[in-house]
Amino acid sequence: MNALFYIGAVLITIGGICDLLGAIGLLKFPNFYVRLHAATVGTIGGAVVPLFGVAFLALGMDIPHRYAIAGASFVTGIIVLLAAPAGATALAYAAHKARIVDWKPKVDHLRGERK
Amino acid sequence: MNEFITLMKFVIPLYLVAFIIYTVRALKGPTIVDIILAVDCMSFDIAAFMAILAVYFKSVFLISGAITLALWAYLLDLYMAKHLTKKEVGT
Repeated sequence: MNALFYIGAVLITIGGICDLLGAIGLLKFPNFYVRLHAATVGTIGGAVVPLFGVAFLALGMDIPHRYAIAGASFVTGIIVLLAAPAGATALAYAAHKARIVDWKPKVDHLRGERK
Repeated sequence: MNEFITLMKFVIPLYLVAFIIYTVRALKGPTIVDIILAVDCMSFDIAAFMAILAVYFKSVFLISGAITLALWAYLLDLYMAKHLTKKEVGT
């Protein structure tokens, strides 16, 4: 057990807490566009940070195949870091284009511009 | 090794409670984009949880499923957005 183990443990703990907060926000927020914010907490904070933490944790422990586990979790973290915002943006664009979410904004400056 | 067991006892219940809450949102979501968003978040978090389980069980085979699961969730987003905008899936 060296310093890499404790760095990984701290990152995994932060990731678990962010995951729980994102899940509670996804359950409690009023409509889809507000829930997208909690989904970002749940994916970036709840998946990317623990994956980097698992990479450090596997390097710090004395287990078989630790370099394979560390490298694959680092690659998965990079993939999630790139794919999650792109997917959320595509979903928001599709929901706005298909008009399936009813939202009641206080101010909408683009109401007249929308065709 | 004792610190690792203590860490797992603290982290695994957080992930399980989060999965249950995501499942509740996926089952009662009012629109289809809410369901897709909940399944998307749950897939990314299952990928992270699978990496944690790979360290816990000392197995290298669990980690190869995490990459596929992350890419599958991204494909689910893209196909659903294409279906909602163009009313078709494909080229």
